[in-house]
Amino acid sequence: MEHTHGKEAVTVAATTSPLIAVRNVVKSYGDNPVLRGIDLDIEPGEVIALAGENGAGKSTLMKILAGLVIPDAGEVGVSGEPLNLGSVRESRRRGIAIVPQELAPVLDLPVYANIFLGREPRTTLGALDRKSMIRDSKELLRSFDLHVDPRTPMRMLSTAMQQLIEIVKCISIGASVILLDEPTSAISQNEVDRLYRIIRDLRDQGVAIVYTTHKMAEIRAVATRVVVLRDGVLISDEAISRISDEQIVTSMIGRELDDLYPALQSPGGGESILSISDLVVTPGGPAVSLTVRKGEIVALAGLLGAGRTELMEAAYGARRAYGGQCAIDGRVIRSHDPSAAIRAGMALVPEDRKVGGAVLSMNILLNGILPRLRRFTRFGWLNKKEIVEHVAHNMDAVRLKRTSLKQEVGHLSGGNQQKVVIGRWLTGDLKVLLLDEPTRGVDVGARSEIYQLITDLAREHNVAILMASSDMTEVIGLAHRIVVMTQGEIVAEFDRADHPDAEVLQELVFRHAAGIAEPHRESRHAN
Amino acid sequence: MRTDTTAIPSSITTEVSKTFWRSRGGVFLIRNSMVGVMLIAVLVFTLATPRFASPQNLQSILIAAAPFALIALGQTLVILTGGIDLSVGSVIALSAMTSAWFAVNDPSKIWLGFAIGVLVGLAVGIVNGLLVSVFAIAPFVATLSTLTAASGLAYAVGKGAPILGIPAAYGELANTRLGGLPVPVWLMFIGLLVIGVLLHKFAFGTRIYAVGGNAVAAEIAGIKVSRVRFQVYAISGLLAGISGVLLSSRVVNAAPSLGAGYELDAIAAVVIGGASLFGGRGTVWGTAIGLLLIQTLNNGLDIMLIPSYWQDVIKGLLIATAVGVDVFAIRRLNR
Repeated sequence: MEHTHGKEAVTVAATTSPLIAVRNVVKSYGDNPVLRGIDLDIEPGEVIALAGENGAGKSTLMKILAGLVIPDAGEVGVSGEPLNLGSVRESRRRGIAIVPQELAPVLDLPVYANIFLGREPRTTLGALDRKSMIRDSKELLRSFDLHVDPRTPMRMLSTAMQQLIEIVKCISIGASVILLDEPTSAISQNEVDRLYRIIRDLRDQGVAIVYTTHKMAEIRAVATRVVVLRDGVLISDEAISRISDEQIVTSMIGRELDDLYPALQSPGGGESILSISDLVVTPGGPAVSLTVRKGEIVALAGLLGAGRTELMEAAYGARRAYGGQCAIDGRVIRSHDPSAAIRAGMALVPEDRKVGGAVLSMNILLNGILPRLRRFTRFGWLNKKEIVEHVAHNMDAVRLKRTSLKQEVGHLSGGNQQKVVIGRWLTGDLKVLLLDEPTRGVDVGARSEIYQLITDLAREHNVAILMASSDMTEVIGLAHRIVVMTQGEIVAEFDRADHPDAEVLQELVFRHAAGIAEPHRESRHAN
Repeated sequence: MRTDTTAIPSSITTEVSKTFWRSRGGVFLIRNSMVGVMLIAVLVFTLATPRFASPQNLQSILIAAAPFALIALGQTLVILTGGIDLSVGSVIALSAMTSAWFAVNDPSKIWLGFAIGVLVGLAVGIVNGLLVSVFAIAPFVATLSTLTAASGLAYAVGKGAPILGIPAAYGELANTRLGGLPVPVWLMFIGLLVIGVLLHKFAFGTRIYAVGGNAVAAEIAGIKVSRVRFQVYAISGLLAGISGVLLSSRVVNAAPSLGAGYELDAIAAVVIGGASLFGGRGTVWGTAIGLLLIQTLNNGLDIMLIPSYWQDVIKGLLIATAVGVDVFAIRRLNR
């Protein structure tokens, strides 16, 4: 039986060196440090919750252990022997396996073929030994109490089950350390319980588990130890019994506001322009209402999967709504029709610019006019001169670094691509700007320019801005009002002006986002 | 080979070649590599046989190119949206058959027959458009089904046989000369111009490039993606209808097997012209070059009495080379 490898790990641990020893691991992406010298020991049978906000460096640390990312400095030892970093095969051979956040099973192959992918047993004639694969898979699955026929195609299974099978696979290849990246982000509560059960089983077998999370309940549920990262630094490392929720939260938050943010100005005090009323984003889901005033910056805070992207996309019409409506200046916009939203003065800068933002194969000029094609045509004829003037003006406004307006957008850097995606909306018609993770994958320099631009749009052009961000400092640094969402619902609302202390506010917002505070809505702008 | 070139360290030569391929000249060379191939082909044929460069022969190349040009233009639009239209060959047969059938039925109204033939093409195009945009069927499958059905209908129109007794006046359309060139050649030039202007100077073209380059982003930018998809298939059908009418008029003949396999030559022309089958990349200029290159090869190799099976081998190699150059070029530019 393959999964007895865990027991071997126990005997290894009897020696003095830890199962995994991370020493002074450093990693940065460009100018952006992600890990600033991490030391961490992992022992067999431990369940470590790797906690921290988005961008704290949790995933990067895991990917380094799994050989997916090469660190700039530092080393990792496995049972006292140094690990050859940067090779997935090597990490796997030494017993470290990762279950990534975005699973990538071969959907059309059956479960057993996925479990044995790339190391299929052969018969003496060299053909695939299906029988033994099925038999071994069946046994493996049964030992984890998973009632799945190994011949079922992967596609037929839920995400949660696919994830569990991925874990089973890790065990079958003899992993003694299993890294789970955000294992609960895509699965439902009772599926989470089953996941916990399997994690406990593995722990009892002596396998070490590391999982990332930023939810308090999930930390308490299975972890034997909590390691908190913040801004790439290991802030705390304690046994679960020796640390309180308070202490965990305090060590997770308190990221410092850097000076990337322009000075916060009070909103112009304009009347409300965007009103989302009783918008239902998922069938049978909660109805959400929200208003944004002219010149106001409202930030949607929340954890991954809190429903912020869905809310903005449904308001804009990029996604179907199951009830409710969205109005600009009191006029209701036709639902599920982005062109109607655009005509009404709305703009959306989507979460992933490569998916929904720019057309990478087109040049800056054409990307620059895409949402307002009608404005630049007479009977369909493109008015070249006007287009060049307009786009040049807009791209100057966003300080786009370019050699020519005919450059393909795909050849620009991430930050500059984002500037094109924002810049193309900047016309007099813009009334409401929806920004989804406006600085994801954007370098520090371009980030501060984007912040300045957001602030200017609100203050000088009276644009109403609704932005979603997982970066807590961004939310605190830019917004006049912060709306916290969890599970598709608005659970709290804070006025920045009432909370002069950024750190206190950050903590408040975080508590609500993580679901460890009573619902709270400030009266001043409640609708 | 001079010896001093070998003394240059490879890192410098790769650096030099990198900057060269990225320079204006390099990009120009890559973009127009097929023009070069074309010039070489012309040169070879001219040297090989004096008949090739004669005005009559050059004109016959253009005449042969015309029906292909129209379907290749439609194909360009479709491929730019990331789709494909396999049905155009069958549409040529169906529209030729219906057009000729009406002409035989009422020889006094040949023009009505032509109009109906063109409309039949448009109708198949509309069906393709609906299948792809409304029913969200993969373009390959949707147009494969209309390819099969339209071909069946073409046979049904003639009850399995060619249309007989076509009046001589039926040939007037395609064999009339205006300013020394037959009507189909003029229609080819007009088609190239109209589609070229539509694609590169009108918002219509911008929408097509956007849909093919990134359909999700196009949708978010307010472009009605399914409408654009519908339009390109309808246009492709329309152009195939015109092509079928011209082809049958030129030979004053309509057989249900007419146009069979033409879709592949049209796709080849578009691909040789540098378009990407993933959509978003390609130009009318490129398609024109691809088209002329194929026709020049067909003609020149015919004159040189090279058997048609070897011609196919040469064309196959050419397509592979064109796509290979493209992949190479994109890799160079993106490095």
